[in-house]
Amino acid sequence: MSHPRRFGPGRLVSGALVLLIAALVVLAAAGVVRAAGDSGQAAAASKRGGTITVLSAGDVDHIDPGAAYYQFTYEITYATQRPLLAYKPSSIKPSLDLAAAMPKYSNGGRTVTVTIRRGVRFSPPVNREVTSSDVKYAIERGFATSVANSYASAYFGVIVGAPASGTRSVPNISGIRTPNRYTLVFHLKRPSGVFTYALAQPLTAPVPEGYARKFDSETLSTYGTHQVATGPYMIKANASGSINGVGYKPGQLIQLVRNPNWKASTSWRPAYADQVLFKEGFQDPTVQARTILSGGADVNGDTPPPAAELQSIVSNPSQKTQLVFTPAGGSRYVALNTSKPPFDKLLVRRAVAYVLDRNAMRLTRGGEIDGRIATHFIDPSFGTYGFTQAGGLTFNPFPSAGSAGNVAKAKALMRQAGYANGMYSGPQITMVADSTPPGSNTAQVVANGVAKIGFNVKTISVTHSSMYTRFCNVPKNEPNVCPNVGWLPDFHDAQAILDVTFNGKQILPVNNSNWPQLDNAKINAEIAHAEKILDPAARAKAWGEVDKQVTQTAAAVPWLWENWPSLYSKRVTHASERWNGGAPDVTFMAVAPS
Amino acid sequence: MATRPATDPPVPRVAPARDGGPPLTAPGALAAAASSSLLRYVLRRILWGAFILLIVTALTFVIFYAFPSADPAALRAGRSATPQLIAEIRQSLGLDKPLYVQYWRFLKGLVLHFDLGYSYQNQTSVRSELFARLPATISLTAGAFVVWMLVAIPVGIVSAVRRRSLVDRAVMGGALVAISAPVYWLGLLALFLFSNDIGVVPLLPGAGSYTPFTVDPWRWFTSLLLPWFVLAAAFAAFYARMVRGNVLEVLGEDYIRTARAKGLPERDVVFRHALRSALTPIVTIAGLDIGILLGGAILTETVFNIPGVGRYAYDSIVNADLPAIQGTVLFGAVFIVTANIVVDVLYAFLDPRVRY
Repeated sequence: MSHPRRFGPGRLVSGALVLLIAALVVLAAAGVVRAAGDSGQAAAASKRGGTITVLSAGDVDHIDPGAAYYQFTYEITYATQRPLLAYKPSSIKPSLDLAAAMPKYSNGGRTVTVTIRRGVRFSPPVNREVTSSDVKYAIERGFATSVANSYASAYFGVIVGAPASGTRSVPNISGIRTPNRYTLVFHLKRPSGVFTYALAQPLTAPVPEGYARKFDSETLSTYGTHQVATGPYMIKANASGSINGVGYKPGQLIQLVRNPNWKASTSWRPAYADQVLFKEGFQDPTVQARTILSGGADVNGDTPPPAAELQSIVSNPSQKTQLVFTPAGGSRYVALNTSKPPFDKLLVRRAVAYVLDRNAMRLTRGGEIDGRIATHFIDPSFGTYGFTQAGGLTFNPFPSAGSAGNVAKAKALMRQAGYANGMYSGPQITMVADSTPPGSNTAQVVANGVAKIGFNVKTISVTHSSMYTRFCNVPKNEPNVCPNVGWLPDFHDAQAILDVTFNGKQILPVNNSNWPQLDNAKINAEIAHAEKILDPAARAKAWGEVDKQVTQTAAAVPWLWENWPSLYSKRVTHASERWNGGAPDVTFMAVAPS
Repeated sequence: MATRPATDPPVPRVAPARDGGPPLTAPGALAAAASSSLLRYVLRRILWGAFILLIVTALTFVIFYAFPSADPAALRAGRSATPQLIAEIRQSLGLDKPLYVQYWRFLKGLVLHFDLGYSYQNQTSVRSELFARLPATISLTAGAFVVWMLVAIPVGIVSAVRRRSLVDRAVMGGALVAISAPVYWLGLLALFLFSNDIGVVPLLPGAGSYTPFTVDPWRWFTSLLLPWFVLAAAFAAFYARMVRGNVLEVLGEDYIRTARAKGLPERDVVFRHALRSALTPIVTIAGLDIGILLGGAILTETVFNIPGVGRYAYDSIVNADLPAIQGTVLFGAVFIVTANIVVDVLYAFLDPRVRY
């Protein structure tokens, strides 16, 4: 996946089977996860205090909340910042956070009005009350190259006056108005079916212009290392507000302490712990998992326990309740480059879709425990937001026994495509894959699979980030096969899954995420139609149909709807997952006194 | 036959007169000439070292761009960024400029302000990060050096003195195993066996437990014990084999035979005569190894999660963070080049022939 980003919750859905899966996931989580409001004031008071320790292999992508775009970073961002909307545990719908009321749409969906809460204050050294201008500035700075928020154009580019691309300085966006201290009015160029979800992104967390502008005027903004908080926690800072070397030691530690200006009465976050330590640099996932099991830390932040550890934990009755699986919300797939032979032919692609041993591919990541084998792109956690409409678990256009591949069917399709004996006889094909497991193992299974219908694969092994930024994201460098790609949505609207990834209009010369380079006029038209639908039911139906059609092109072969495992220590008495996000929400975690 | 006194240096060396040079007769003139030639030699070595550093920085640039590392502008921009935004970022970071321009800017900043730039990922000063992490790397290196020398010298001597004995064979066999064991594997093994959180026999603090000396000296010491032993293992084995070989070689020298013929006790022969000669090349190589390790013991620091220069290098490479990569490579090169110069100067001091 482009980043291990796991967003947004999924809702329990109609369809008995899907309901059952969701119920199982909830039950699996039940050992440690309890709803936030199940315990009353007295119980909440008893959970207060202590330090939560989160382990991670790497650092945040950007410490600046305006640039953050990585699920691990969001664990910190949502604990320290208050966007207009945010997700409560076990909910896929955004709830009010800084906003005092849900956005009101008028003018045919082109005007969106949001009021913000009174009494929310910035942490020291700013200390003053948050106003609507602070939200306006926060969104505007996302367009400045010094901040370079990567989703600003995608979701906020629809605002009147928003720049088409990055600007050298923070722009003044005319379509964001602040008629008074507590009201924001967004004027949109056209109705947007995903704008409410966009308001739950961290970019809408307020930033005080007077304080931040000097940092934002640098080539790369240093506001991140001088940030102020509005959430229950703040990154520990010195008197002048700098967190660098104080509460933020890159690659080593991020220390969250209580924000003295946060008022519990304005927020639904319980924020039990007094302190949260994100200890970074735990590169070995086995060491990380065992440290948590031994009580040396409380939860994994950015790295799941390895497959062998997961199996061991699940088979140990005293440990298995410490493990919580949450649907990640997206899918992993093999992208076949449709822009050049041999995968410009539908029949050849379908032959590959039939021949791949998806079960073996899943085993490279841990097997059944890691998630369900994907048969299309919208994840089951979407439920009635598109998954059901796409055919749910019954839609599988390329079935095979045990999902192990159907060689006979694949060869028959190859014969139809003009290859005698059902075996490919053209030149060697290229594949760019991860150089390290599990991606490298998955790629090997793919190579072995297509070899059954005659493909000789030349594999180029590079780092995961190079695979994307130098090869699979750059059409002119793209190989025939990208076996290690995947997509996790920013929120639970199917547009976030299918638009940039399969819309022919979204093929870009660099940073392209339509990896198969699928440019199908019919599908493009259906996507364009679905994007404009505002009615939730009609919207889900339209996107479900798009999912079916994309899957049938076999431009990409989905193989895993992944679960994200969180491993909690035994001293964690109260934990909540962000539904489908998977990552722990530290503002809902409590620990027993040491 | 005249015998050399036992206290003589093992290999008496005299600086040969330069061809065509003035006869150096007066002791003062001799000393002045020697001092001047040493100074010239040191200056030459420093200039040569600077040139090497220049080459290293240039090579780092070329390698970063020539090999398929991730595109820093695309990484900075993120998944959903438009090509225009990536282009803007490339421009604002100066990544759109020709390679030589970027290199010149880097050099200018480095020479004029000792500025290594700012990390693309977290906008922190690379120089500050490196200096903040240096104490951890020095702690790791110094402790490991002490451990490996304390192990290697006695083991090497015993093996040499008891050549082909059972002890010799056992110790040298063990050394071979230690040299062959990858540090990463050995580190994990040590953690799973002896760390006090996940170890089978919980003895010592495990990964991520590093505590700076200034915060708590005792915790600093205990947190580094496992990393010291792991890092020292391969070095100790290698050095033990080297000590053994050198001692054996020296024990075959004429003056050792003479010393023995004079009736000196074997202990004096080994420790006062053989060992002094045998250790000279060891110290030289140790100097270089320390230089290399001060540049960052990447694997050990990564396995034990020690926030040193090596870990910083690892993180920088993973994140394609060019300024940080450049800084860590240069930092490592400085230590290696400095160690080389120190060793060369020491050699020149000890053996005047190398000055010319």
